[in-house]
Amino acid sequence: MILHIDMDAFYASVEQQDNPWLRGKCVIVGGTGNRGVVCAASYEARKFGVHSAMPGFEARRRCPEGIFIRPRMKRYKEISARVMDRLRDFSPLVEPVSIDEAYMDVSGCEALYGDAEAIGRRIKEAVFQEVGLTCSVGAAPVKFLAKIASDMDKPDGLTIIGEEDVLAFLETLPVARVPGVGKQTFAVLEAMGIATLGDVKRFPEEILYRQLGKYGRRIMALAHGVDRSKVEPVREHKSASSECTLKEDTDDAALLKKRLLSQAEEVAAELRKLDVKARTVVLKLKHADFRQIARSETLPIPTRSSAVLYREAARLLDQYRLRQKVRLVGLGASGFVSSALPVQQGLFSGGEDRAENWERVDRVLASIQEKYGEGAVCRAVLRDNGGEEKE
Amino acid sequence: MKLTVNKSDVIDVLAKVQGLTGRKSNLAITENLLIRSEPDGITLIATDLESGFEGFYPAKIEEEGTIAINAKTLYEIVRELPSEEFRIHEVENRWIEIGNRKVLYHIVGMNPEDFPDHPQVGELEMVELAANDLKKMIEKTVMIAGAPNDKRAHINGVFLEKQEGSKTPCLRMVSTDGSRLALVEQELEAETPALPEAGMIIPKRGLNEVGKFLENEERIQAGTKDNKFIVKKENETFIIRLLEGDFPKYADIVKRDRGHEIKLERLVFLKMLKRMSILSSETYKGVIFNFRENNLEITATNPDRGESKEDMDIEYLGESMQIAFNPRYFIDVLNAVEEDTVVLHLIDEEKPCLIEGETDKRFLSVIMPMRI
Repeated sequence: MILHIDMDAFYASVEQQDNPWLRGKCVIVGGTGNRGVVCAASYEARKFGVHSAMPGFEARRRCPEGIFIRPRMKRYKEISARVMDRLRDFSPLVEPVSIDEAYMDVSGCEALYGDAEAIGRRIKEAVFQEVGLTCSVGAAPVKFLAKIASDMDKPDGLTIIGEEDVLAFLETLPVARVPGVGKQTFAVLEAMGIATLGDVKRFPEEILYRQLGKYGRRIMALAHGVDRSKVEPVREHKSASSECTLKEDTDDAALLKKRLLSQAEEVAAELRKLDVKARTVVLKLKHADFRQIARSETLPIPTRSSAVLYREAARLLDQYRLRQKVRLVGLGASGFVSSALPVQQGLFSGGEDRAENWERVDRVLASIQEKYGEGAVCRAVLRDNGGEEKE
Repeated sequence: MKLTVNKSDVIDVLAKVQGLTGRKSNLAITENLLIRSEPDGITLIATDLESGFEGFYPAKIEEEGTIAINAKTLYEIVRELPSEEFRIHEVENRWIEIGNRKVLYHIVGMNPEDFPDHPQVGELEMVELAANDLKKMIEKTVMIAGAPNDKRAHINGVFLEKQEGSKTPCLRMVSTDGSRLALVEQELEAETPALPEAGMIIPKRGLNEVGKFLENEERIQAGTKDNKFIVKKENETFIIRLLEGDFPKYADIVKRDRGHEIKLERLVFLKMLKRMSILSSETYKGVIFNFRENNLEITATNPDRGESKEDMDIEYLGESMQIAFNPRYFIDVLNAVEEDTVVLHLIDEEKPCLIEGETDKRFLSVIMPMRI
């Protein structure tokens, strides 16, 4: 039995939980400033038609009384981590798929916790106890159905699709609700006269394959209730990055570098957390016309020093001729290797080594900030915190 | 310009200048060779803007002139020509005819006026040594190349200085890539004019090109003037622009007086290192040297490929040590040493290791360990 746990209006709910005066109000996270998009909307705000990914100005139009809040990613990550930990109390097979969603495989736990419904209730209770937030749980024999189920009775829902009910459920399930069916696929299916998974089942598979390629086979399998994907608790991280859209387009290299420095610190922290070093540094730029480019440099010696990450990104920026203003800048690191890798030492001191040794400074700064707060210590040039420029 | 020249007189130089002319520079014309007629021969000039070459070769001149012609094309043509004698004739508007009665090429050259000015050095004091000796010095030092985009003088160039002392004066070259260093000395004759005290840094690339021209026991001269390093053979001259910068103080690193001295059979050690570096990759470069009583074991681990280990007998009675090294660095040194026995000077896992031949103290290498 697979469960899909989906936190209800996550960011908005966290804000309402942390700030009681927001409860019952139209809370919209994101969409602040003149460029933002909505990250999350509380159920109250949704009544006005506001939803994630909607541009801020449109949200303000639809919900003039809405309270717009800047996202606090750190806080959401913190809550998410606590929720995932609680889930792991029930089964080790927990696969977080995003900050507010996870799959769980509870096969074999029935003896301990009872049937699907009982487990579902206990999990909802545990999550609420831990962070005071509601979630919607879907239970089904396979992953994709569990995900569809969790969506069916939001908020605070619990939907079970038993083995015996699967076929009937699939028969009338509209294809739009199937994971993997987006705008394009939906258009293609519609043109073929397919509206439900029942229709898919009756359709010749070869034509589906010709129209949709590999996904054609997958949707056919899903139409039969077949989904072999397993819940995978450990997913290997392959890259780490940090990017942000600027409040105003700019071609000021110094400003962009300031952003990159702060992003280098974030990425370095992530690398420390993952206990890896990175061989490749990537600079990402999105121009005012939305055209995006990426430039990368692979280093002979893997690193996780914020000074080295910054130096490479800054160098890539210098080498790239900015002909247009830029709306987004980002720094990424990939090509992970174990941090326990032996590192070639230098014969002479100074230069290269110094930037690499900055990793020790990173660690010390991080531990001071952890104990005394972020404002306790930081690089002088980042003192006024890019919070001003960023959206 | 119209002249006749023998293939055997020029084929060698045409091949050897490819290194200079083949290097992409800011001026397209550096891909060309400048050929200028002289009273009884031709002067060939090539440059990559950092190093310049000039040589004189016999030829029969019918009409004077100067041409600039693509070096690679000329080389390939001459190499394949069936006859010994061939003609070079500038017919008009930079079109150049090359060939003999049976074979004819019509090549467009560039404007010789556009060719960068070749530096003239005039009179200067030079030291004299055998071409072979200088070539060996170059080979042992330029093999330590830094990263291609590392522009620092001490990584990009070889340090050359004259060592005075109670013994015979000698020429010393030191080269590094930041992680390892090679030092080679060559004695000079007692009567030698002075070279600047501070020493100079010569681009490795340029030295590498000079090396191609050095062979056998022929006496050659080397000197410096106006920020250039000059090497003169009988009819060929190389001028290399020196690099500006400082070479790190290496004197402490090449001291032999501390730590353990371990003798090893060069070939056995070299073969073991080659075998143990098979599993190395770009990401996993290091191997671990385990020094134990009278035994050296090397282990290599690469999570992507596997593990290996091998050991050999050595004379060692000190305490056990575990040091990580890039085996490639050792392989390079062992290939350059010409004796059967090498000596390792080791202190601990954090200090550099010095390697040299048992008797020949004129060449040594210092390698920094990796940190585990």
